[in-house]
Amino acid sequence: MHALEISNFTKKYGERTAVDALSLTVEPGEFFGFLGRNGAGKTTTISAITGIGKITSGTISIFGNDVEKNYRQARALVGLCPQEFNVDIFATIERVLWYVGGFYGMSTVDRKKRIAELGRILDLESHMEKKFAELSGGLKRRVMLARAMIHDPKLLILDEPTAGVDVELRHELWKYLREINAQGKTIIFTSHYLEEVEQLCQRIAIIDAGKIIVDAPKSEFTKDGSTLEAKFLSLTQKKS
Amino acid sequence: MNVIGLKTFVAREVQRAFRVYIQTILSPLINALLYILIFGVVVGSTIQSVGGFSYIDFVLPGILMLNLINSAFSQTSSSLYFQRFAKHIEEILVAPLSHMEMIAGYVIAGVARGLIVGLGVYVIALIFSAATIAHLGLFILYTIAVAVIFSLLGLLVALWAQNFEQLSILSVFVITPLTFLGGVFNSVTMLPSSVQTIALFNPFFYFVDGLRYAMIGVREGNAMVGWMVIIGLIVLCGGLVWRLFTIGWRLRT
Repeated sequence: MHALEISNFTKKYGERTAVDALSLTVEPGEFFGFLGRNGAGKTTTISAITGIGKITSGTISIFGNDVEKNYRQARALVGLCPQEFNVDIFATIERVLWYVGGFYGMSTVDRKKRIAELGRILDLESHMEKKFAELSGGLKRRVMLARAMIHDPKLLILDEPTAGVDVELRHELWKYLREINAQGKTIIFTSHYLEEVEQLCQRIAIIDAGKIIVDAPKSEFTKDGSTLEAKFLSLTQKKS
Repeated sequence: MNVIGLKTFVAREVQRAFRVYIQTILSPLINALLYILIFGVVVGSTIQSVGGFSYIDFVLPGILMLNLINSAFSQTSSSLYFQRFAKHIEEILVAPLSHMEMIAGYVIAGVARGLIVGLGVYVIALIFSAATIAHLGLFILYTIAVAVIFSLLGLLVALWAQNFEQLSILSVFVITPLTFLGGVFNSVTMLPSSVQTIALFNPFFYFVDGLRYAMIGVREGNAMVGWMVIIGLIVLCGGLVWRLFTIGWRLRT
């Protein structure tokens, strides 16, 4: 069973086609890089996977659960760390995590335990009573990751999780992501920092103008001595 | 059913309201206190009686209903609109909650805030020895039913509104005028005969009239028509909200 299976997914906004018959699979335990320029269709695809966006046609399933027909099961298996800070900025960190854990049906005891655990792992313990609006950019990113992880999802989708994060924290996040991936968590990772994609991901797909233009193991991108960045530029510029 | 999810949803909404309690709880109570003081006590002392009741007794159900309506409506409209505006509605959209659970979460919180404010108004009225309840069961039924209607209306407006100004349009141009014209401060018999017939087409008249009956045991309208209006509005607004949530209108991209 695939961790994620997208078959002929098309998304239209009126007459404009944002994603065109996209098909893709991600295997359990994979660290998968999903790349594309701004407006290529990455976030639109992620929105459809997670339930934020509507599907014009095609199907998407997560560990065998259709995201529309079996949305409850499908959503319970996914954690999303989005590009934007879509949080109640006046709520404290503890409350943000508490409520989201509750939405996923976690008991009071489990939530308490998990919040303490994530606070320790992501070094948020001393900030739990602060409001989201009071945090620095790096801390906000960590909260977003903690929120995505609160229900311990099998599939973690990270949409540019390191944007605006300093080098030190970025390295800490990489370390943590490698650890959870080694423990079996499937990760879909998007970023405009291609060196981190190169460092972290095992397989990479590039989307351009709503279509997958390449989907291959990381080694394929760099086998001729090239870098991922050079390959990415040559592929996306050729198409445009 | 995601029971923990729904309970958390309601808790979050209610706690959000209490986070700004001056605006959400205290402000309508001060409003009610002023209405009771000015219209009930000061003006009321110059009015002999309305339908055999002191003016403050007569006017109190209307004041309670006015605040209950505004509180339930504001709770859901401001909450959902702000969540759309700040995009943290996505937090709910990605969660394993059904459309019905989402709607129920908003509505229960709207009803809760309406009832908390309603209870506060009742307590204030007790201070002025004006609070009576003739039919407790009906009192509970009317307050909950009307709060449900305005919680649902709040959701509709929150989905429709594209900016903060539009959010207040229904409240300013529909809810407030119709509530005042629905017999909050006066008996329908005080109106000119031609206007009396028009008043019977104002659904707010039945909300106030029903609650007045529950509180002081006197009504001016037809109870059956009143309940048909209330149930009809719940079904209509509820159906529309459910449909819009299902298709993700202005919720899902």
